[in-house]
Amino acid sequence: MHAIRYNAVRDEFYVGNPFAQAVLTFRGAANGEEAPIRIIQGRKTTLDTPDTLEVDPVHEELFVPEDDRVVVFPVGANGDTAPLRVFRSPAKDGWKAAGGIAVDPIHNVVVLAGTVLGEKNKAGYSSPYGDNREALLIFDRTASGEVQPIRVIRGSRTGMHAVRQIEIQPKGGWIVISQMTAGELPEPEGTYIGVYSINDSGNVPPRWKIDGKPSTGMKKPHGIALDPNHKEVVVADMRLNAILTFYFPEIF
Amino acid sequence: MRRTVGAVFLLFAVAFSVVYSGRGLAAESSQSRATGGPRLVSVEPLEMCEAFPVAAQAPLRGELAQAGKTLERAPLRTIRDSFPTYSAVAVDVANNEIVLQDENLFQIMVYDRMANTPPTASLTEPKRVISGHETKVEFNCGLYIDPKTGDIYSVNNDTLDTLSVFSRNAKGNVHPDRTLHTPHGTYGIAVNEETQELFLTIQHENEVVVHRKTAQGEEKPVRVLQGNHVGLADPHGIGLDTKNQLMFVANYGNAHDKNAPGSGRFVPPSINVYPLKANGDTPPLRVISGPHTQLNWPAHVYVDQQHGEVFVANDGESSILVFRVTDNGDVAPTRVLKGAETQIKNPTGIFVDMVHDELVVANMGNHSATVYPRAAAGDTPPMRTIRSGPLGKAALQIGNPGSVAYDTKRDAIITPN
Repeated sequence: MHAIRYNAVRDEFYVGNPFAQAVLTFRGAANGEEAPIRIIQGRKTTLDTPDTLEVDPVHEELFVPEDDRVVVFPVGANGDTAPLRVFRSPAKDGWKAAGGIAVDPIHNVVVLAGTVLGEKNKAGYSSPYGDNREALLIFDRTASGEVQPIRVIRGSRTGMHAVRQIEIQPKGGWIVISQMTAGELPEPEGTYIGVYSINDSGNVPPRWKIDGKPSTGMKKPHGIALDPNHKEVVVADMRLNAILTFYFPEIF
Repeated sequence: MRRTVGAVFLLFAVAFSVVYSGRGLAAESSQSRATGGPRLVSVEPLEMCEAFPVAAQAPLRGELAQAGKTLERAPLRTIRDSFPTYSAVAVDVANNEIVLQDENLFQIMVYDRMANTPPTASLTEPKRVISGHETKVEFNCGLYIDPKTGDIYSVNNDTLDTLSVFSRNAKGNVHPDRTLHTPHGTYGIAVNEETQELFLTIQHENEVVVHRKTAQGEEKPVRVLQGNHVGLADPHGIGLDTKNQLMFVANYGNAHDKNAPGSGRFVPPSINVYPLKANGDTPPLRVISGPHTQLNWPAHVYVDQQHGEVFVANDGESSILVFRVTDNGDVAPTRVLKGAETQIKNPTGIFVDMVHDELVVANMGNHSATVYPRAAAGDTPPMRTIRSGPLGKAALQIGNPGSVAYDTKRDAIITPN
C-alpha cells in the first residue's frame, strides 16, 4: 500500500488495494482484523491498480490516480460504483500519474506527482535518474475528460526525481512532497522533503526543504503527512522502516 | 499575506479544524449526496490565507517565503525498531547453521543451529551477517540454501527487484556472487534440485516463474504459470513435492484477472496445488481453502516429502498449520501449532529439518526464530529460541512504510505496511 488517508469529517480512513482492484474504507477507530465499512470494487469502477488515493473531505470525493488518468468517486461510494468523473492525459504530449496525489479544496486544485510525456512538454530537460515521477502536475479540481495540467513544476532546480506521497496544506496553499530520488538504490543521494506553492510553475526550487542526510536522520522518505495541531510533518522512511516527525512551523 | 478572518461561514471543512455533526451509515449509503458539490459542515472562526483563483500565477501572490531555503533540522521524534525482524528461515543442515532473513534492518544473519538465547540475554550474536549497500539486500523476504554448497539465495520483495546469491561464508557488505533481475513483488522461492530449476512467486502478476537454477542477469524464465484459469491470488510461499511431482502455492486471496480493470475480487486464502511442471494458464489440481483450514495470510510453506505433509506459516492467526499433501477443499489441518507457550507471533518463515526432525519458525512479531520437534502440535513451547531482541519485546512491524496519515481526532499516526 502506497497511500493511506484520514478524513476527520467522517472519522474514516481509506486505503487502496491494487491486487484486488479495490478502495477500502475503515472506521477511524478500526483495530485488529476489522472488516472495512465500504469497498469500492467491480466492473463499473474500472479500477485497475488503485495503489494510491486522496480524499477531499470538503467536496466528499475520493481521487484515485492510475497511469494516464485520475478516477473520482463519491467518498461514500460502496460496491460496484461507476466513477463520478475521470480526467485523463491527451494521447499525444500528455502526462502520466505516478502515485502521489493531493487535493486543495480551498484553491480548487489537485496536484499529482507525475511525468510529462512528449518532447514538447519535456522542453529539453530530462532527469538524471530518468523521467519518472520528476514533476508536480497541477490540475483544476473539477477537471474531466482529456486535460493538460494548469501548471507544471519540473526542472533541474527542483531536484525532483521519484516524488512519492504528497500533501497540501490548504491554509497556505503549500504542496509538501517526499522525494526519494531512486527507489532502486538502497540509499540514494538527493532525497528530501520539500515545500512548493500551488502557484509555483516551471523550474523552481522548493521554498523550504529538509534533506535526507545523517544530521536529519532521514534516508529515503516515501510517505508524508501533516499534523497541523502540532505544526509537524510526519515522514515514513522506507530505508529505515521508520516514522520521523519534524517540527515545520513555516507552513502552518 | 495572512489575515485573520473572523466568524467566516465556510462552505468547506478543513480536516484539522472541523466541527461536524456525524451522520449514520444509512445516510452515507445514499450516494446521490456525494456529487462533488460543497456543503455546510463547519461554522467557526479560522485564520486563513487569501483565496486565489486556480489560474493565478506566482506574481499575483508575491514572494511567500524565501525561495530555496534548506533547513538544518533534526527530527523531534523517531519511531523505529532497532532490532532485527525475521521474515524467512532456512537451515544449512550440512554445516549446522540456521540462516535468517532480517527484513527490518535488511540483513542476512547466520547462527549456529543449536544457538539458544537465554531468557536473561537480550540477544544472541550471529556467526556472520551479510548487510550493506553492496549486497543488494532490501525488503528481503525469501530464502533458500543450496543443500550441497551452502550458497544463500536471497529474494527481495520491493525496490531492488533482485535475487542475490552469496557463497556460504560471505559476510559484511559484499557483492553477491551473482544476481538475477526478478519481477517486482517477488516473494516465495523453492528449488527443484533434481532438475536444477528455481521457482519464484510474483505477487503483483499473480504468477509463478521458473528459471534455471543458475540463471543470472536479465535471463528470462523457462516457464511462467499465469492466466485467468490458474487461480493465483496474491501468491506468497511456494513448496515443491518432487516425489509426487506437485507444486504448492499459498495465496492471500487478493484476486484480479490479467489486463481486466474492474475484475478485482476477494477470494478466501488458499493453498493451490499444481503439477510440478505446470506452465501457462493451467488450473490447479486441488485447492485447500475454506473456514476449516484456518488459513489467514498464509506466507511461506514447506513440503515434507518424507511424511507427505505441507507446513504453512499462517501469519494472520499466529499459527503453524500442517496439511497432508493429498488434502483438498475445506479440510481441517492435521496439526495446528499455536498458543502463548509456542511464542509464535506473526510467523512468515518456516523450514522442516528432516535430518534432525525439527521445525524452525521465523516470527516477524517478536524478534525470534523458534525451534520445535517436527511433529509438535497444540500449545507446545519451543525447544530452542534465537532472539535478536529482549525477551517479550514486540516487534514494531513497520515494514516498507509507503505512506503515512495523521489522525487528528485521536492525535495518532497511521501507517500501512
